[in-house]
Amino acid sequence: MSRIGVFICHCGENISRTVDVERVAREVGQLPGVAFSTDYKYMCSDPGQNLLKKAIQEQKLSHVVVAACSPRMHERTFRKAVEAAGLNPFLCEMANIREHCSWVHEDKEEATVKAVEIVGMMVERVKKNRVLPTITVPVTKRALVIGGGIAGIQAALDIADCGHEVILVEREPSIGGHMAQLSETFPTLDCSQCIMTPKMVDVANHPKIKLYTWSEIERVEGYIGNFQVTIKRKARSVDEDKCTGCGVCMEKCPVRKIPNKFDCNLGMRPAIYVPFPQAVPNTPVIDRENCIKFKTGKCGLCQKVCGPGAVDYEQEDILIVEAVGAIVVATGFDLYTIDEKPKGSLIKGYGEFGHGKIPDVVDGMTFERLASASGPTGGKILRPSDGKEPKQIVFIQCIGSRAREKGISYCSKVCCMYTAKHTMLYHHKVHDGQAYVFFMDARTPGKSYDEFWRRSIEEEEAVYIRGMVSRLYQKGDKIVVMGSDIAVGVQVEIEADMVVLATAIQPQKGADTLAQKLGISYDKYNFYSEAHAKLRPVECATAGIYLAGACQGPKDIPDTVSQASAAAAKVMTLFSKDKLEREPIVARVKEAGCVGCFYCKKVCPYGAVEEKEIRDRQGNLIKVVAYVNPGVCGGCGTCQATCPSKSVELDGYTDEQIVAMIESL
Amino acid sequence: MTQPIDTSIYAAVTEAIRSEAKRILSEGQVSAIVGYAVARRKGSAQPIVISDAADVSKLIFTPACVNNLSVYLTKAKKEIPKNGKIGIVVKGCDLKALVGLMGESQLKREDLFLIGVPCAGVLGSVLQPDTELTSDTIASKCRECGERLPQGCDFVPSVTLPATPEQEQIYAAEIARLEALTPAERWAYWKEQFSKCIKCYACRQVCPFCFCEQCLCDRNKPQMVETTPRPAGNFAWHVIRAMHLAGRCAGCAECERVCPMDIPLNLLNRKMAKELKELYDYEAGFEVNDKGPLASYDDKDDQSFIK
Repeated sequence: MSRIGVFICHCGENISRTVDVERVAREVGQLPGVAFSTDYKYMCSDPGQNLLKKAIQEQKLSHVVVAACSPRMHERTFRKAVEAAGLNPFLCEMANIREHCSWVHEDKEEATVKAVEIVGMMVERVKKNRVLPTITVPVTKRALVIGGGIAGIQAALDIADCGHEVILVEREPSIGGHMAQLSETFPTLDCSQCIMTPKMVDVANHPKIKLYTWSEIERVEGYIGNFQVTIKRKARSVDEDKCTGCGVCMEKCPVRKIPNKFDCNLGMRPAIYVPFPQAVPNTPVIDRENCIKFKTGKCGLCQKVCGPGAVDYEQEDILIVEAVGAIVVATGFDLYTIDEKPKGSLIKGYGEFGHGKIPDVVDGMTFERLASASGPTGGKILRPSDGKEPKQIVFIQCIGSRAREKGISYCSKVCCMYTAKHTMLYHHKVHDGQAYVFFMDARTPGKSYDEFWRRSIEEEEAVYIRGMVSRLYQKGDKIVVMGSDIAVGVQVEIEADMVVLATAIQPQKGADTLAQKLGISYDKYNFYSEAHAKLRPVECATAGIYLAGACQGPKDIPDTVSQASAAAAKVMTLFSKDKLEREPIVARVKEAGCVGCFYCKKVCPYGAVEEKEIRDRQGNLIKVVAYVNPGVCGGCGTCQATCPSKSVELDGYTDEQIVAMIESL
Repeated sequence: MTQPIDTSIYAAVTEAIRSEAKRILSEGQVSAIVGYAVARRKGSAQPIVISDAADVSKLIFTPACVNNLSVYLTKAKKEIPKNGKIGIVVKGCDLKALVGLMGESQLKREDLFLIGVPCAGVLGSVLQPDTELTSDTIASKCRECGERLPQGCDFVPSVTLPATPEQEQIYAAEIARLEALTPAERWAYWKEQFSKCIKCYACRQVCPFCFCEQCLCDRNKPQMVETTPRPAGNFAWHVIRAMHLAGRCAGCAECERVCPMDIPLNLLNRKMAKELKELYDYEAGFEVNDKGPLASYDDKDDQSFIK
């Protein structure tokens, strides 16, 4: 006979405000099998846990139900406490009467009745819980970092410096990401390239970092400590081992006028190219769409001039599999493309601002390239249409961001600061020019940030106009910017030579597809979701996968670097143990009923189901049944749902338990 | 209007089956052959298993050969390792069940010798087996048949299939009628149909895909489906049956044929097949080792049903 202890938590007032916890304790105390029930203000606190431990010993409890918050919050806490009191931790279950009850109801009477039922269901379930031994699995002490921007670089360097091997995968031909494109960085105005390129070189030279550029994640299998990642190495058409990076191929390539994405399409590059001179690795890639050799079969000049014979037109995409124990996702951001209205997307576009139609309306990243010493203009701020120096320049903030009617309600966080920086860079380079900024609010929380913003107004003479722009249009070689100054309450019209739009930060294209491969969750904007907004900000809900940088939400460089190091620290915590204890919530096959259709094997996302032969004593094959490898099983229960004969069950969630819960109602 | 169907091929097919069966049995290629034989009533047919080459004259193929013989193989598969390959006479519709069973690891192609039979159709009802095959007496499934000539078999008699007259598409018409009803009306329709069920489980016994050794309906810990023929249990059984067959059933319609209470069971199966075709462009019974749309996930899958 069960001797179940039920512990009802007030959660301060979170639960007790809408649920009569004393009544719940009283009523569930009457249920068959319940030997003890009580309530307490904070069950998760030290005295609360001691109360639980004491009751287990004094009342000789066989099972425990803690009615409190979501099991995602404190299941581990209470299972540990139960274990400390000498009971198997898996004989403890949580009844969620906070998220599922008190938080969502107002009527105390009804909420109390519901809480009694929720607890009653868990009492029925826990009765059928089995003692489960903890499963230990080995940890592969190698990490995968996805994305070679500043976040990925920082995480990879930190992990590698601790002596663990890191595989860094970058989609583009070079690492560096967006930070390599920036001119100067706020709030100190140090040159982005100067602080970035040494780190890129560190990555290239680090004996523990294996760098795969021009590569993408194809497939991810396995689980924490034991992932198998299939990486697609796209055909570079240049052998990385042979290439010396001399650059002769790029000089000789007859195709010269391909807009360079790295320079926001302002500069030109050949068909065989490195995106920028400081690229890591300094190995060119052939853009097969534009290469004459690939289009017509003729040319082949780069191969002829290549001394070491590195150019290889026959190269094909290859798939490689790497075993890793942890994954850091650092895929970064992309800018809102304001002239596009992608079908089915939340984004509505800003067609009225003429981006893509008026050549001198550019986005912030294009301005960075114009201001950069290594950019297409050599650092001179010249407008794209006619190469003249703009004497009146208008910056417009919050393009896409904080615009619910346009589909994005969040603040992109970095635009206020980079626009202030842009006005300064402009003032430093065009002494007789005037910068205007249309803004809604200036958001400058951060060390030395507000001082920096004030400097742009007080010392660098930028004129800030609080209000939004309604329309832009080309008039002769000027762009007329019509807006309102809500501080004064007048309409403003500025004839500008150039307009810079601070477009919103969005996750990289394909962020959702990657998330599906990794099995991590993402929000409606495709930003990756952390496990807990406050207490687990760098971990995904999927164990063993961590987040760094703007793929999780808009971030500036200092925040990104901090998060990358934090993610690295989490990886190192994982790697500090040789074996990993994991929950024994795994599926088991009831072989008597299994008929070997292997639907479970087909649907298992972990590849945990194997085929097992059942033989009699003479060695004759009786049948082939499914076998779940407990080390690999992720406990998702998909096999249980799929099995037509109900011959596979997930411990702790057996059909018997679920039906018992339903029948208790 | 009643139109006759040319049944002249059946005699030639019977002859061909006999000579091929004689060859493979006497050469020892197979240990036994599952086929059709004359039954007691005039014109009727029944399944038979022969293992002696002397018995091949018992094999026949007529419009009364309605059974899907593949159901015997899920029981007989355990004998294969001991005794060797089994031969089976299959119509195009039955072959689709075999293909499904191979995909579900129940049978291996190399363990079977498939004697495919060209078929002009079978009788809808065998209550009076000695009936002419016409556009009226032909089975509903045969009216929508696209596999009169089975593909990929080890042996198929070479006969020319007669042209088939225009026939009324009974399932398609009935599905369209039910789809036009309101959910409440449809509920009422099926409620009435299922209320007839006596839980004899003949539909389960005859279905090639009900190969579980222990049906979940027979489990009592926990009891998933009420065992007595009462409305709730009847509904649960028939809905579970339809769902378990979705993406698998290729429409041999044996469930409907054997139902003593005349519940239109294949109608449910056809509706599920239609959904699969519309949602995933999938038809069961054509490819072996196919995961099938219900056991696989693709991020391009239609997700509009999630609201």
